[in-house]
Amino acid sequence: MTETMGDHVVAIAQDLFSAMVDGEPGHLAEGPGHPSPLSEPVRAWVDIRGERPLRTLVATGRDTADRITRALLDLEPREDVATADVRDALGEIANVIGGNVKGLLPEHPALSLPVVVFGGSAPDGVPLWTRSLQWHDEALVVSMWDVPVNQEEYL
Amino acid sequence: MSLRVIVADDSKVMRQIVVRTLRQAGYGDWEVTEATNGAEALELALAQQPDLVLSDWNMPEMTGIELLRRLSAATDIPLGFITSEGSPQMRELAQSEGALFLIAKPFTPDAFRSTIDPFLA
Repeated sequence: MTETMGDHVVAIAQDLFSAMVDGEPGHLAEGPGHPSPLSEPVRAWVDIRGERPLRTLVATGRDTADRITRALLDLEPREDVATADVRDALGEIANVIGGNVKGLLPEHPALSLPVVVFGGSAPDGVPLWTRSLQWHDEALVVSMWDVPVNQEEYL
Repeated sequence: MSLRVIVADDSKVMRQIVVRTLRQAGYGDWEVTEATNGAEALELALAQQPDLVLSDWNMPEMTGIELLRRLSAATDIPLGFITSEGSPQMRELAQSEGALFLIAKPFTPDAFRSTIDPFLA
């Protein structure tokens, strides 16, 4: 899995944020090469079934996740957001990115439902690639992983 | 033209975005009923006989393609997909099963208009 796939995924994420989060392009950009640790991380992913199952994962801090949720739901800047809505919103971000990635992998026939985890540490293993992005100057990390063998039942 | 439409997606956020985008695309007078999965959409469609079903593909309980098959077997209600899985293979499968169209996520109001308007003429 190459950086070229990473470039495609960044483009997909930028299209997604332009069309459905910000309503205009230009607010999701490449960030620093090595992302800083996320505060109260929220991680959302979907798994793509295939001979080599792959996971596309989106991670950001809780404040940024709340802000993305407000944007998707057309809420006011300081309006309260329910945890269930944050789970739903970040899951959809992962789902749209993962669905488009699946389209680039014709030998991968199916997509899992999204999984969203609040807090905790990063998953075990080493990502195939990681792209550090900035949405309105807030950190958002997209990465691709091999699906751990003991988690393949999620597929 | 005002239509009665069922929007099926397991994500409340995405249903809200679809409804908002329909409004932005000029279909604000459509009467929309929301369904949280394919099974619920099928039940609603059989009961309400809407003019159109707009459905996600990947949903729990019943997927969008299964919804399309069940709907096609029982009614003439047309179904269009709104899904993140817009690959040529998925489009071919959707078309072969009788879907009216497939709009890929992420989408814009323009994409809604250019895809849906031809079917309203």
